[in-house]
Amino acid sequence: MHLSIGLTTSISTNRMKWIYENADNLRLHGLWIGEDIGRPQEIFTSTALLLLNTKKVNIGIGVTSPLIRNITTIARASSTLSEIAPDRFRMGLGIGGIQDLTSLGIPIKKPVHSMERAVEILRTIWANNVNSISNEEFGIHNYTAKYSSKYIPIFFGVRGPKLMTLAASIADGVILSGPRQFVEKSIKLIKEKRNSLNLSSEKFHFVLWVPTILIRKNEDLEIVKKTVAIVALDTPDHILEMSGINKSEIFLIRSEMKAHGIEKVAEKIPDRIIDLLCISGDADEICDKFESYSSLGIQEVVFGPPYGKDARKSMAQVAQTWSKSS
Amino acid sequence: MKFAVSLNSNDSISDAVKKSIELDRLGLDYVWVSDLPSQRYAPAVCAAIAKVTSKIRIGLGLISPFLHTSQQIASSLTTLIESYGSRFDLCIGPGDRDELYRVGVDLKNHKNISQSLLNSREEISTLFQKRGIESRIWLGAQGPKLLKLVSAFDGVLLNYSSIEMIEWSLNTMKEVIDIPRSIGIFSPSYVYKKINPKIQKTLHYTAATVALGTSKTVLKEFLLDEGLEPARIAHKSKSLDESILKLIPQNIIKKFSIFISQDELPNYIQELKRLGVEHVAFSYPQGYSLETIKELSEGLSKL
Repeated sequence: MHLSIGLTTSISTNRMKWIYENADNLRLHGLWIGEDIGRPQEIFTSTALLLLNTKKVNIGIGVTSPLIRNITTIARASSTLSEIAPDRFRMGLGIGGIQDLTSLGIPIKKPVHSMERAVEILRTIWANNVNSISNEEFGIHNYTAKYSSKYIPIFFGVRGPKLMTLAASIADGVILSGPRQFVEKSIKLIKEKRNSLNLSSEKFHFVLWVPTILIRKNEDLEIVKKTVAIVALDTPDHILEMSGINKSEIFLIRSEMKAHGIEKVAEKIPDRIIDLLCISGDADEICDKFESYSSLGIQEVVFGPPYGKDARKSMAQVAQTWSKSS
Repeated sequence: MKFAVSLNSNDSISDAVKKSIELDRLGLDYVWVSDLPSQRYAPAVCAAIAKVTSKIRIGLGLISPFLHTSQQIASSLTTLIESYGSRFDLCIGPGDRDELYRVGVDLKNHKNISQSLLNSREEISTLFQKRGIESRIWLGAQGPKLLKLVSAFDGVLLNYSSIEMIEWSLNTMKEVIDIPRSIGIFSPSYVYKKINPKIQKTLHYTAATVALGTSKTVLKEFLLDEGLEPARIAHKSKSLDESILKLIPQNIIKKFSIFISQDELPNYIQELKRLGVEHVAFSYPQGYSLETIKELSEGLSKL
């Protein structure tokens, strides 16, 4: 099992710089960067910086939506990144949050179909072994890419069962996020689907990326509880169901949060819910919890954000503890 | 006067990096990286160039707001500037109609291209201000409608090389603004010591591309429309190739390119200075190789 660090395009340049300057020395397996739509950093340019300033670690986009850019832009941006560091770049795709897409005026129609077509056209462009490409759905007419790519692994960051099944058939891996039971069931679903298609599950990469927080002092628990409150707000109902979580408990957190704000609701979050929705503890505890996912089939775990009170120290401490124990 | 070389993002990353290191070493002021739908992603190429250079300013553009949102363009610049300092400029413009159409962006569907460009400029500028980012925003322009937008930008890069056409552009601009902003040109170029026929042929192709993309109004103004018509008709059904190139008269190719010897360069630059041009971007194939870059640099040293 491998340890990676996660970041998003909301990150400050200074913190991103610290991460890429230390990633190789911390003996991380990789960095994953997720796109927070509308935030100051641009996902492909940031990923270029991560690739240009590291030598060993894998760098993945985890994830961006194929609905918010021209598909040919995603194809050539990914190809350019793969050219910067051949064999280290991984491309992650997900539909994107409903609120973000709505704010951009993008309707979510047939997400499974959209993802399937996106992967198909990306792989066709990357292979670049035909004279020109036309695709009515994307409005592409006689497009010829003046570049080609080595194979770029595609990861899905999805949570619904239909998209999960699609990931099993066309992706190279999946980034899972959610309570343990949900993760377990998702892995089972994907493995079953791959078995039915005669595809080896050994070649499929399972990544776990849940909010993680290093706790040094009691007051750090405050960050944990606030994080859990936000996660509770965002977790789809079907995930709660798949995870055996009492929905009324989560609904109560959501309504309290709407009525009284995050500060008030954070105080009332029970420990049981904390353990379900995030990974927290001291460095040893976090590494142990990560390690426990190995038995489910997870091959790579992602630390952070929000990392802990002092993000840099937290990243370094967890990475060092992981390195010692492995 | 500032001098730039515009790199073709058709270059591999390692070639773009090598050429940029050389441009930086030779003391060129700018390297421009254009973003075309069929080529490498320009912001990532800019990041690679910024990492290995220290003095040269890096221009992202021309990049089309009809292909990228203002937010995406502004964020690319934000990431680059916050990481490598304030040595980046931006140039926006509609982009190549044919190339955009091939990726599903049909400019015919945009009722008011000029207004859309102004809106993008405003949105990008607002985001820059909000984030404390300093970057000049240039307009890449050629036709009379776009030239009238210049006052909203920090500068204009005219897609012309002939003195006559540049003069006409400046007069068109002066109809709407008294004092022109920074004026620059970018044009297919080959400043040579000894002519390499292969590069000369490439120059003909790039000049033909610009000519074929020029608005009918401009072509008529310079009585080039009839001469270009056979090539325009042929180009409707297929990409630019040797057979289309043969249909284009040499005087048109000449009008849309800088093709001069090192010794002729000082006179040409002098003419540009007289017109008030203060930025010259020598576009492809000038950046074809380290050798062609060196030829330009030697020419510039004669100024």
